This record gives sequence, C-alpha cells and structure tokens, in this order.
Amino acid sequence: MSDEKKAHLLYDKEGEVTKDRPWIFRTYAGHTNVWASNELYRSNLAKGQTGLSIAMDLPTQCGYSSDHDIAKPEIGKVGVPINSLDDMLVLFDNIPVDEMNTSMTINGTSMWLLSLYVAMAEERGVDISKLRGTTQNDLIKEYLARGTYIFPPEDSIRIIVDMYEYCLHNIPAWNASNICSYHLQEAGATPVQELAFALTTAITILDAIKERDCFTEEEFERCVGRISYFVNAGMRFVEEICKMRAFSEMWDEITTERYGVKNPKFRRFRYGIQVNSLGLTEEQPENNAWRILIETLGVTLSRNARCRALQLPAWNEALSLPRPWDQQWSLRLQQVMAYETDLLEYPDIFEGSLVIESKVKDLKEKAFAEINKIIEMGGGVEAIKTGYMKSSLVASQGERMSKLIKGEQIVVGKNKWTDGLESPLVKDSDGGIFSVDAEAAKKTIDALNQTRKNRDQARAEASLKKLAEAAKNGVNMMEASIECAKARVTTGEWSDTLREAFGEFRPPTGVDGQSLSIESDTLNQVREKIEQFIETHGYRPRMVVGKPGLDGHSNGAEMIAVAARHAGFDVIYFGIRLSAADIVQSALEENVDVIGISLLSGSHNEIVDQLFEELESNGAKESIPVILGGIIPTPDFQALQQKGVKRIFTPKDFDLMAVMNDIMDVINDQKSA
Amino acid sequence: MTKSLHKLKLSNEALLEKMLEALPKELENLLSKAQVHEKWPIARLISIFERNTTENLIARHQIVSYLNAHPGKFNKQAMVLGITGTPGAGKSSLIGEVCLSLLKNSADISIAVLAIDPSSHDSGGALLGDRTRVIFPVKDNRLFFRSQASQLDLGGMSKQTFHVTRLLRKLFDVIIIETVGIGQSEIEVRRLSDHTCLVMQPLAGDQVQFMKAGIMEVPDTFIINKCDEDTLAKKSLHLLKSSLKLASIYVDHQESKKKNIFLTSATKHKGIDELCQFVLEQAQEKVSQKSLNQQEDYFLHKWIKQAYGEFGMGIFKHFAQDEALCTGTLEQKELRFKQIIANFLKHLH
Repeated sequence: MSDEKKAHLLYDKEGEVTKDRPWIFRTYAGHTNVWASNELYRSNLAKGQTGLSIAMDLPTQCGYSSDHDIAKPEIGKVGVPINSLDDMLVLFDNIPVDEMNTSMTINGTSMWLLSLYVAMAEERGVDISKLRGTTQNDLIKEYLARGTYIFPPEDSIRIIVDMYEYCLHNIPAWNASNICSYHLQEAGATPVQELAFALTTAITILDAIKERDCFTEEEFERCVGRISYFVNAGMRFVEEICKMRAFSEMWDEITTERYGVKNPKFRRFRYGIQVNSLGLTEEQPENNAWRILIETLGVTLSRNARCRALQLPAWNEALSLPRPWDQQWSLRLQQVMAYETDLLEYPDIFEGSLVIESKVKDLKEKAFAEINKIIEMGGGVEAIKTGYMKSSLVASQGERMSKLIKGEQIVVGKNKWTDGLESPLVKDSDGGIFSVDAEAAKKTIDALNQTRKNRDQARAEASLKKLAEAAKNGVNMMEASIECAKARVTTGEWSDTLREAFGEFRPPTGVDGQSLSIESDTLNQVREKIEQFIETHGYRPRMVVGKPGLDGHSNGAEMIAVAARHAGFDVIYFGIRLSAADIVQSALEENVDVIGISLLSGSHNEIVDQLFEELESNGAKESIPVILGGIIPTPDFQALQQKGVKRIFTPKDFDLMAVMNDIMDVINDQKSA
Repeated sequence: MTKSLHKLKLSNEALLEKMLEALPKELENLLSKAQVHEKWPIARLISIFERNTTENLIARHQIVSYLNAHPGKFNKQAMVLGITGTPGAGKSSLIGEVCLSLLKNSADISIAVLAIDPSSHDSGGALLGDRTRVIFPVKDNRLFFRSQASQLDLGGMSKQTFHVTRLLRKLFDVIIIETVGIGQSEIEVRRLSDHTCLVMQPLAGDQVQFMKAGIMEVPDTFIINKCDEDTLAKKSLHLLKSSLKLASIYVDHQESKKKNIFLTSATKHKGIDELCQFVLEQAQEKVSQKSLNQQEDYFLHKWIKQAYGEFGMGIFKHFAQDEALCTGTLEQKELRFKQIIANFLKHLH
C-alpha cells in the first residue's frame, strides 16, 4: 500500500482504509397500549432496527392520565399511553435498556418521562449512568408548532435546565433536550427560519444554563456537547444539504464565540432526522415512497453534515397512522441506502464545491441576521410571548399555500398530473389505514386503577408534596420526580402538581396580522357570495374555528382562519386544546353561522360525537352546521356525514378559497332551510 | 319576521307604524331566557342589535320599548367599563383575570364582555381572537363573552357596539368593552363607557409621545399591566405620574373624576384583587339618565354625519325642535330623520 493517502478514501486512526458506520435506524413508533407497543419494539429490534423512538399518546404528552375526560378520545391514538412506572416496566419488558439508545418524543412532560425511565432502570437493577438516549423537550417549538406545552415559557426553560443539570451528573450520555427544527419546517419555516429559530432555541437554553451557573467550565463544555438537534429535510434536497452544512458551521461558530467551548468534540453539530411529512400527499400516495428517498439524500450525502439517527415517515402518512408493514418498508429504504450503496466509503463529497459553499454562505448570513434580530428583540422566550416567531411561520406557510394554489410550486399528483391509474397499494382489505382497537384503552385504564389501588398512598402523597416544594423553592425537581415515579404517582398527578405551581400557558396564536396574497376567480366568487349575504342578512357571515382535543398541530386551523378572513368572514379563532363544550359555548355566544373544527390525531369520530351532543343539549344541532377538516380517512366519511357533519376537508383540499366557497354554500343552505 | 320585509323597502311611514306593533312572542321568549342569562338567547338578541336590516331595526325598537316598559323584570342597569390600550399591553389577559376573579369572589355578579377586533381593509373580514388568551369557565351563565368586528369604523367602535350596550345594560351588572387599541378607539370608547381604563405596558413609550397623542386626557383610570417585576413597575408608576403632572391632569384632590392608577400583572395575578374591588365600587354607582341620553345623541349624530355628512347635520339642527326627532327610541329617531330627508328630497322635485 502506498504511503500517499488518496482524497477519495477514508482512513482510520491507524491509517487503514475504512468506511463509516451507518447512522442509527429508528422508526417513530408506539400505539394502542404498553403491551402492544412492547411487542412492536421487540419485533422492530429483531428486524434490524438499532434504536428506539417512542411515540407517546397525546394525554401522556399533555400531562393527563388516561381516565381524564379530555384524554378518553385520544388513548393510544398517536402513541403509547404511559400512566405510571408500572406502564413503563411493561413497555420495556425484555428490552435491554442498558444497550438501548432510546429517543422519546416528549416535551411538556419530559421530566416526568425521564424520571419514569430512570426509575424503571433502577428497579430493574440497571446502572443508570449507562442509559443513553434523548428526551425531546424542546418547548419553544411546542409553543410555535406542535402544541404539547403545559407551563409558561420561563418555567418550561427551568425544567429543561433542571434536566441538563441532573443528566450531566447522573446520566452523562443522555441528551436532556433536543433542539427541534423538524416541526418548524412542518409549520412552514423556510430554511433560513429553520436555521435561525432552532439555533435561537439552543442559545436560549444555553444562556439559561449559564445563568444558573451550576457547572464548572469543563462541565459546561460537556453540557454544550450534549445539545443535539432534531431536523427536517424536504424535497429541495440540494438546499437541504446546504442547510445541514450551514447548521454544522453555525453551531461551531456559536459554541466557540458565544460560549468559548474549546474542545471541538463538544462543538460538533449532532442531529437526528425525520424527513418531511409536510410534502407527502394524500393524492397518489405511492409517489411518497420516492419523496422519502429523495429527502433522505439531503441528510446522508454529505459526510460533514450527516445525521446521527434517521427516522423515515411512511408513504401513507397523509392518509392515516402507518401500519407495521408501512414502517417496515421505510426501514428497508434505510438499510438499502446504508448497506447496498457505497455512500459510507467516502470522505465528504461536496468539499470544495463552489456552488455548495456559496449557497451555505448565503444561508448562514441570512440566518445569523435573523438570530441577531431575535436576540435584539429580547431573545427566544420573548419572541414566543410576543408571537414574533409564530407569526413569521404562519406567514411563510401562507406563502407556501398560495404558491401551491397558484401552481407556482409543482407537487406531482396534487396540482399537476393529477390523473392516473389508481394505486393498488390503497386497495387492500383495511383500505390501507391503521386503526386503534378501542378495547385496548380499557386495559390501560384498568392497569391505571390497579396501580392506584396497590400503591402506598402515603408515599405517593408525600412524594407529590416534595415535588410541589421543589417547584416552589427553585430546587432541582428531578430527584423529587424520580421519587414520585417510584411511589407510583400517575402522569396526571405529576402534571397537576406543577400546573398548580406554575400555571398553564396560552401562547399567541400566530394568526394576528396575517394576510394571504391569494387572488383567484374562486376568491372573487366567494366574496360575491359574501356580499350578497351581507345585503340580505345585514351582517357578515360568522364562523368559529376550533381545535378540539389535545392535538396541538394548530397550523391547519390557523390557515383556515386566516383564509376565512381573507374571503371576508368574521372568524372567531381561539387556539388549541378545547373541549367540545368550549367550542359549542363560543359558537352559541358568538351566534355563528358555521362551526369548523380541525383534527389530525385520529380521534375525529369520538370528538364529533361529543360536539353534536353538546349542540343537541343546547337545542342548536339543527341551527348551526358543522364542518370538519384534517386527516380524515375516506372510509370514515360516510359515518361522519350521517352524524351530521356537513362537509369534510382533507389535505387534498389545498385550494383554500374553494374550501371557503363550499362553506358559504353550507351557510346559505342553512339560511334557506 | 320574514326576509321579505327587508326586501319590500317599505316607506318610512309604514315602518314607523310597524314599530308600534307589540313585541312578537318569539322575542319575548328570548328576552325571558336572556334575563336568566341563557347564552344562546342572549347571543341571538345581540345579533338583532348588530344587524343592519329593517327587521332588526324594528325588532330593536320593540325590544328596547319592552325593556323600558318592564323595569321590574329587567331591573339591571349595568355600568359600562371601557378598556383601551395599545395591542400587546395585555388587555385580553387582564380582562380575563379580572372576570375570573370577579366570578370567584362575587356569587351574584353577572358580566358581559364585548371584545372588538379590527376588520381587514382588504376583505372586510376580521379575525376575532380575543378568546385565545383566557380559559373561561364553561357553562357559567354569569359570564357572557362576545366578539365584534370594528367594521372599519374610524373610531374602531362601531355603532353596533353602542347598540349592544343598550341591550346588555338591562341584562348584566357589568359590561366590559375591549377596544382594538389602535387609531381613534381610545377616544371613541369614552362615548359609550361610563368609565374608561387605559392599559399600558411598563415604561411604554416616552412621555412626550404620550402627550402628543393626547390620549392621556381620555382615561379615568390608568392600568400599568405586565408588572411582573417590582422595580420596573415602580419606575413606570413614577414615570406615569410625572408625565401626568406635566400635562396637569393628575390632580390628587377630591374631584369626582379622580384619576386612578393600578399596577397589575395578569400572569402573576398581581393587583387584580384591587382592580376588581374598584370595578365593583364603580358598578355600584348609578348611571345617570342624562349621560345615557348623551351617549345616544352622540351616536345619532355620528350616524347622521356618516350617512348624510354636514348637510345632514344642518338639516338635523334645523329640525332640532321637531318633537318626533327628540322623543322615543333611537330607532324611531332614525326613521323620523329618514322621513324628514325623504320629504326634503321630494320638495326638491
């Protein structure tokens, strides 16, 4: 072998030619109950998956036990319900947690879930310093896009800092939080916004840690090294490659300049990925398989900015929750990419590319400008409270929608080449969709009752009291939470104790000051209908737009609200996490002409029932029409319409003004009834 | 009531005649339910006071006459509290906290909130988002919340807002009006409120800016909200006092219209109890018939100006002694004026 190293080869420390290890293969998974999810995890691991990514159901994420009224329609729908340590023990039964890299998509209740995980390990006799994994715990993006926050921003940041402090001393390989730009892109962020808002979030966290002054310099460096990211990659994969490279470089600069981190190892930009679901279409869903592949390129091609862990969505996500087979198909894509191609044999293949370098530079400059703007406005927490970041996202989303509607952005099968042969993939027996077994929820609630019955009540109460005191006195709450976990405190009890201490937060909605630039014949048609309506009835048609239940993905509802105003409606919009009673009460007080609700969590059947019951009991069921939007599987349409839903809109109905036109027809039908 | 009435375009005389008919049974029922604070009946009555059709005009007259004729049953005489201040001062959250606190501490109180948001100049539509900031109790009939669009009215306070207060005064103890907080609304809200509060952020704007805007003369009470932190709060209080002194407004003697200053934090629940106490005290004070008449006159004149300009006002002054124009409900006066204009135009031919 010659001494001269070749630029296209990878060498290890000994100078031998080598190749990279693949990234961690993960599948975001969890559903029904802890028994079913445990089985799923074990079978995924057996298929060659190398890490776990736990999906929790919405009650667990929002801090409600499964037997709470607001929880009932959601149990096991978008993830696994976890009520107590007993559930956690079942969930990880027969899974070697000391060898596992476990990622939990958990935010509002992240401290609680980490405490349960630690308590589970301790009860099983595992050395907790060996635990590896991540609690997502990025509350800023929850306020912006995902909606499973509970407490006000300052208190949420405190919880995050508590966790960093605890983890660094006790579970050094645990990522106490993840900076998520993933959901920002789903919410409409441009690459520059994604870079800027994610890095601002990291700065907010690190500034708060610095302020607490609980680490030595060496510890702080290690703590910076624990900051990891969870990023999104879309269809514009060249730009995405550049975005990832910009992220790496900017993070290196920020950690050097702002935080003086000397060890380059702790300045490395470490990130996991879930590629974009936003661009996946309900129309011709088989095309999504290609989209997922292309999106994967953006985060794997460049070695200098390659992801550490990769999760792929399933091809049919726009239709409903994926089935095990759909997830397996996505896992296979990762395996083909990592093991059949030569990708992992080369050093960075873009180094020296003028095009890539120029694009990276451009992104960096713009993103730094935005970061400085936010810092000047008072930083990340302030930008949440004022709604600045939220409004920017809704504006970008509005622009994206406008481009789709005008056909300026082509999405194959959606706004171009829409005719085609029907996909055989959606034709199998269950219509290609996954549904949760309703009986399984009962098992969860029975287990919860059992836990409450068997526990040492005095110990549980004492542990909650200690938690409340720690919250009040500014003491790190991790120890108290772990004791709560061991005392078989429930998810609802832990959360309620902190709700009492910190209060619940209602952030700005992001609809203020928004406008749309849609101009179309349909818009003119709608506005004409509205003018006629005003002429006849002496007022502007009124619509209430609400998001019932725990699903916090508010952007769809907000788009509808903004679009409705653009059409000329008076729109009452009041945020997320509303009960059916809340929505009906507003509809009655505001004397609206139509109620529009948006649902993405799969609990539409239950919630629509609740809504109609409320309307019925107020004698308004025949007077106020209800329309529904969101991810609603086609097989559910008929039953929903029979219940009385007047129109159902899905991601297929992306022409917002056509939706408005339809809504005006519903209102006019009602008036002439 | 049928749609046809609106389309028929009856003569003013015929409409004046029609007004004299008794209140339809259907509306009487709604009023009975509204009187015990059932939400949907109140909401539908409010709509009658907001909507601009002939049916609604007549119904308004009939309802107001009915309410006046049954003072025993409809014995409330609510105070209207106007809350104004720039967007971002935290008006919605503050109002929410005040309401929740009032409900908690006064078992018998009934409150109506009327929150106004701006209409879009482009589409005319509006996003009414004031419910977002507060988690109100569900099914507590002591509190009623309604959103209204400003309808591009220059004052940010449409005639509809005033109309609605005419109804709500008879049904509730306290009415809180939240303005859009931009343009002229600070000034306009005084025209229909018995007491006006200006909500500010700590250290908001410099003193000169305040005086230029001339809004310091408007409010009866100042509220510095978002006083989460004591030092900042005290600093702001000092700043406000000194700028009020500079404008010779803040006079600490026993004048009836004493300017009050409150320091509050809606999120940290500071100063809310004091503010609530003050609201309750204000609610005790009887609103004089004279000031109600003044409010009504103001909105009658405003309507005439908007509909007929200075020409209209000239006519109005000319007919100042006209008995029909000075008596009866606002609706009768409006119709009478339309009649005068119509006659005037007829003579021109």
